[in-house]
Amino acid sequence: MSQHLLVLLPLLLPLYGAILCLPFWKRSLPQQWVAGCTQVCWMASAAMLIYEVTTTGIVKTQIGNWPAPYGITMVADIFSALMIGASTIVGFAVYLFSLRGLNESRKTYGYYPMLLLLQMGISGVCLTGDIFNLYVWFEVLLISCFTLLALGGTKAQLEGTIKYVTINMLASGLLLTGIGMVYSLTGSLNLAELGRLVRQPGSDLSLVNIASIFFLIGFGIKSAIFPLFFWLPASYHTPPIAISAFIAGLLTKVGIYTLIRLFTLVFIMDRNFILPLLLVLSGLTMVVGVLGAASQTDFRKILSFHIVSQIGYMLMGLAINTPLAIAGSVFFILHNILVKTNLFLISGVVAQRHKTFALKKLGGEYLKNPFLAILFLLSALSLAGIPPFSGFWGKFMLAKAGLLNENYSIVATSLAVSLITIFSMTKIWNEAFLKPKPDNNGSEKEVVTSEEKQASRYLLVPVVLLAGIILFIGLYAEPVISLSIRAAEQLKNTDLYINAVLNR
Amino acid sequence: MKTIILSTAIRLLTPLFQVFSIYILLRGHNHPGGGFIGGLIGAIAFVFDTLANGHESTEKTFFTLKVYQQPRKSGISYLQHYLQFIRMNIQRKKEAGQLDVQQQYCIQLRPVYLMALGLFIATISGTISLLLQQPFMTSQWPEFHIPVLGSPGTPLLFDLGVYLLVMGIILKIVFTLAKE
Repeated sequence: MSQHLLVLLPLLLPLYGAILCLPFWKRSLPQQWVAGCTQVCWMASAAMLIYEVTTTGIVKTQIGNWPAPYGITMVADIFSALMIGASTIVGFAVYLFSLRGLNESRKTYGYYPMLLLLQMGISGVCLTGDIFNLYVWFEVLLISCFTLLALGGTKAQLEGTIKYVTINMLASGLLLTGIGMVYSLTGSLNLAELGRLVRQPGSDLSLVNIASIFFLIGFGIKSAIFPLFFWLPASYHTPPIAISAFIAGLLTKVGIYTLIRLFTLVFIMDRNFILPLLLVLSGLTMVVGVLGAASQTDFRKILSFHIVSQIGYMLMGLAINTPLAIAGSVFFILHNILVKTNLFLISGVVAQRHKTFALKKLGGEYLKNPFLAILFLLSALSLAGIPPFSGFWGKFMLAKAGLLNENYSIVATSLAVSLITIFSMTKIWNEAFLKPKPDNNGSEKEVVTSEEKQASRYLLVPVVLLAGIILFIGLYAEPVISLSIRAAEQLKNTDLYINAVLNR
Repeated sequence: MKTIILSTAIRLLTPLFQVFSIYILLRGHNHPGGGFIGGLIGAIAFVFDTLANGHESTEKTFFTLKVYQQPRKSGISYLQHYLQFIRMNIQRKKEAGQLDVQQQYCIQLRPVYLMALGLFIATISGTISLLLQQPFMTSQWPEFHIPVLGSPGTPLLFDLGVYLLVMGIILKIVFTLAKE
């Protein structure tokens, strides 16, 4: 298969899927079939891309056959291929969940096309090699995310969506300013060309560093870094689980992906300014996120705050900035995409039965459904980083890199935050699973029809799928760790990327 | 809002807008212009019609195709039946009253179908070059020439897609607003 097709397939398949969904507007069944086929093909294309990238190195295509610094380049290295791979798995799981876990009216009014467009946006962000094109893909993400969050139009959803869109528009404006600055300084928008120009001897770096702050703030908002995270817990818990699981699992990680890409390739990390800044930000993000989670009493809100906390770990790898630390970040991102989506899906399964997310009203799940409880336990322990599960390896790599680089305080912070993570997961465990179900109004008896029972059994399929992958990564971490180490080496060795894109 | 001046004028202007929008679409592939602006101009005619006569009338006049259907008679082969079906639908005005038992149903062209078709054509125009082992969206120019147009390449296809997409979106917005 030609390289051009291989790189673009993860981007074109969701687009074609979304287009094919449109003629079946207001009929959910054909849309489901189209979306299902697309998800499977998307997974296959991502697998092929990962195989190609790991065997032959960086692959690229120049859109419209315009040569590199002038046209738009689409590039796939190991990091971006792995990101796409993880998002295809999550996309498939969320698709399976949506078959029974989403009400009919949302399905008929464009859930599937918008989900596919969102996935196209994620592929676009991961593949693009052009800084303005990157901005455009983030707009695609923003628009489809906006539609998905507001889909259904309940009051709480609209409120969350307004917050989300307002703050993200601001972020986009800052990004555009940053891109304008970079373009006026260097005269190029191609990431590889920018990386080359910035590394040329005699180039003036002070203004580029100022421009990098715009990107840090812009993507900081989009990926919910410490002072700019407040929109996330305010909006992510409002839409139905089939929507929020995908958004929560992926969107902030895409922001972090971009930060890692830009700050390893384009912006040279200033040891006196940016690195310490990132280090402080990552520590604060971890601590504030986890403290916020500890104070919440709503299943989804706790998980939303945990997203913020986990973002801190990913940023920590970038801030330590050794190959091992970045490999830790890459591994952590992959693991977190899967685990976070799985936890959201589990909260959806629980809520399907109890019709609420408030921990006070939940209870008794362990007796009724021990299998689900075990799946939750597995994901929660993995999130906290207990040894046999996938989270442990990510945290281990990050902590080891921190100790080797003598960043003792951040390592101590990250370990302490892990403890509080366990504490808030224990809270969910105690309240939702272990304690007996409180009688609401004394007389109201729970009536579970056989249909609902079957539906909730079906909802377990994607949860089991994701939990299986998490367990697999945890027990047999070697291939994923070696892949992330290779990805980190590619990221640190920028000449590989620059030469591949510029054909030198 | 029903005014005689507007509704009379729009009846004359609609074909003009249509022809001009297609002119802009075709001109755009070598000169300024193109699918986007062509689609906007093409949509103007229907927007004015909606203003003059209401969206139901517009949808009925321009975006609905009435199809007459007759059950197949026993002595006729399928081919003959379909030929008759087509003939009947072409000359429907004359024969509609005369023909016996008929089912009549409407095919409605919704704006969302225009959007889907436009997006599909635009994406296909980029994918053609992928199938020829070249990068996405590399322009392909066929050998032959059409007298006025020149060589119709994939950029024209892309523009056509954009034309339909823009027109569909404008119509969708206008019809939705008119319904409110």
